[in-house]
Amino acid sequence: MSRYFYYHIVLVSLLNLMLFVPHILIRYRYQGAVTSMALAVVIGTAMTFMYTYIMGKFPGLGMPEILDKFLPKMVVKPIMVFMAAMWIIGPSIALVSYAVLINRFINPDTSPVMVLILLSGVCIYAATRSTLTLAFLVEMGMLINFPIILFILLKAVRSDAINWDAIRTVANYWTQMPNLQSVGAASYIFTGYVSFAIYNRLMPPNIRIRHRWIIPISGSAILLLTFFVPIGFHGTEAVENYLYVWSVTADSLMMNYGFIERVIFMFLIMYLNLTLIYTASGWHQAIEFLKALSNSYKPSVDDVPMKRNGFIYSTVIALLTVIYLYYVNEKTTFAISGYWLSFRMFIEIGTVVTMFIFARKGTNSS
Amino acid sequence: MLNRIETIMAQAKDLNTHRIQNNTITIEVAYISSLCDESKVSDFILVPFLKDELEFQKNISLNPNFIVLTDTAKWSETLLRGFVLVQLEGTVYTLDAARVIRNENPQTQVETAIMGSQVSLSEDLIDSINIIRSRYPSPELAIEERTVGNCSRTRVSIIFDSRRVDPSVLTEVRDKIMNLEVDFLQAPGQLERLISSRKRSLFPTMMITERPDRVTSSLQAGKVILLVQGSGFALILPATFYDFMHAVDDEYDSFWMTRFLITLRYIGVILTILLPSLYIAVVSYNPELFRVQLAFSIAGSRSAVPYPSFIEVMIMLFMIESLIEASVRLPKYIGSTATTVGGLILGQAAQQAGLVSSIMIIVTSVVAISNFVVPVNNMSTAIRFLKYPLIIPAIFFGLAGVAVGIFIYIVYLADLRSFGKPYFRFIGPTKRHSGDIGQVDQA
Repeated sequence: MSRYFYYHIVLVSLLNLMLFVPHILIRYRYQGAVTSMALAVVIGTAMTFMYTYIMGKFPGLGMPEILDKFLPKMVVKPIMVFMAAMWIIGPSIALVSYAVLINRFINPDTSPVMVLILLSGVCIYAATRSTLTLAFLVEMGMLINFPIILFILLKAVRSDAINWDAIRTVANYWTQMPNLQSVGAASYIFTGYVSFAIYNRLMPPNIRIRHRWIIPISGSAILLLTFFVPIGFHGTEAVENYLYVWSVTADSLMMNYGFIERVIFMFLIMYLNLTLIYTASGWHQAIEFLKALSNSYKPSVDDVPMKRNGFIYSTVIALLTVIYLYYVNEKTTFAISGYWLSFRMFIEIGTVVTMFIFARKGTNSS
Repeated sequence: MLNRIETIMAQAKDLNTHRIQNNTITIEVAYISSLCDESKVSDFILVPFLKDELEFQKNISLNPNFIVLTDTAKWSETLLRGFVLVQLEGTVYTLDAARVIRNENPQTQVETAIMGSQVSLSEDLIDSINIIRSRYPSPELAIEERTVGNCSRTRVSIIFDSRRVDPSVLTEVRDKIMNLEVDFLQAPGQLERLISSRKRSLFPTMMITERPDRVTSSLQAGKVILLVQGSGFALILPATFYDFMHAVDDEYDSFWMTRFLITLRYIGVILTILLPSLYIAVVSYNPELFRVQLAFSIAGSRSAVPYPSFIEVMIMLFMIESLIEASVRLPKYIGSTATTVGGLILGQAAQQAGLVSSIMIIVTSVVAISNFVVPVNNMSTAIRFLKYPLIIPAIFFGLAGVAVGIFIYIVYLADLRSFGKPYFRFIGPTKRHSGDIGQVDQA
């Protein structure tokens, strides 16, 4: 069942647009974004490979159960809360920036707060389903949306409007030293594996993730597209002016045949679906981490244990998200996103290395 | 012989076995009562044997209808074809007493197929089992009978292939039927609502069909069939969303055309669910979605309409739904009049009077027609409802609202289970050794 692993990888790597990854990279385009990307490919691939090894060692166990095996309860509980917080921030930033995006590009008359209330209500519903349901949801979402997104990306690459000179100019800055924010942002593309902190519960005992060589290739491809296509469309300088750089890029495309002329509508609706799926899956994991705090919690794949707690947690998360949008503007969101991306990278490296040590210890002792 | 047959076909309730004796000898008789004409059994075996005018042994050896069967492995097979087995002094004879339902049986009307079986299941339980058994001659076919309904005492048959059936599904079905609390049971649709885990589900999780070929192919796929006495429809479970989109002729007709038709059905379903709400979203929120020429022609056709788009949509949907409802309820001979009158009014007058735009008329007819491409009726009815909830987010949030509504439907579908089996799941080629997700459950 390797495909369920790849759905998460691809979902997260496509979702980078919602977390301002292209804009962060483009801001550092003369200061080492290209080398940072190369470094991020190495780091991300290494992390993913290590994590698949860990998964194979603990079939059917989520991260809370694995930590419980090796650490005392007093240490595990703070870690859970921390992990849940990490899982809330990313998806919530994506959801908030999408609510603003709807206000900017689809419904200028509807207030973003109203839109966010709708979106987070939907995410509460989706996130409180069972883990198996979420796995099916991610699968269906990817199968429906991925072909169309691929079509848009191909259309962008093959467009006549793209200026290859601008791309070449930026690519020539490959001798600059990498910097932290760009590496953090670029390595986000590879971070889909962390979803298996919870989804590993679904994996059968004899799991082997096949075709792992796809990960660096697809990751670098998406990274290159994310970074270079907007530069090709808007030029080396103007590209920095747009915060939602990919929406503007999609709006530069046109479909000559058919009912819909402007690509941006397809693009926005596809990304709306992806954002909702990502947020639902992220919040679901946060909820599961929080539920695992209780001693009586028994993880289950197809039932929802402690349903009421799940609803309470997710409602609180949704409320926090709405309050956040109410008080914080886009500029701050963008800055927070940049810091969170780099911070996340260190946390993930720390987690994966620790779990890797546990996995080695687990096999040696048994 | 009798003991042996009883062990082979232990689960067949309709198996009749007799050991009878007259003055001189003892014979053993076995037959499946639902498949046999019992008057034949008594005329050829019981009466001559008991009268004993001509020595029965001689009678059997003279009558060419009795054929000696030496191969004991063929017992169950011959029984299942409607033969009677008679054992006399260690020799087994067979007698053809099959009663096959012929033309007097009802024709398929609800779920028609051009080249599939034209006979539908009968309202009589025994006849239906006859039809199923004659199409599924396998000794593994097990038939259990239950009585449901405190007042109606309706007989319900549980039919399955005991070798292929999923035991967890079977246990769940048995439990649920055992624990049913209902006074009157008349139709499989009622049974479906009673035994499904969500009482107010948006989608049917069991298939209702009248086609014996669908029943037998489901049996072969390891599904459980429920038959209700007094109704010519069978309940097939578990079912997935995709099952409802397949007509039986998809297996009989040209390969490419049927694949194309399946795609067409999915497109039809998407259209019938989405078009009304998309119309509202596009007209009231995002006319820039479409290319300029199309946006202009939509706006132009709406120029005479004095109210917002959602009222227009509600009027037209009300009209079309009442038209469909009327044509179901009206007697057959008046039915065509209603559709003609309704169609004329909808098509011409409403638009000329400036009540609705001409684009809306096209939308309405597409919605109505593409709703009926779904081959299974209970799914088609379920899908008919789905367009209404989507109108609400379309009124308040436009295009984004419609997309969110669709997302909710997908979550709901992914959350549905049909007797513990996933309902809306893409099942690709799974290698046997790789295992499936969700098998390890600590709960």
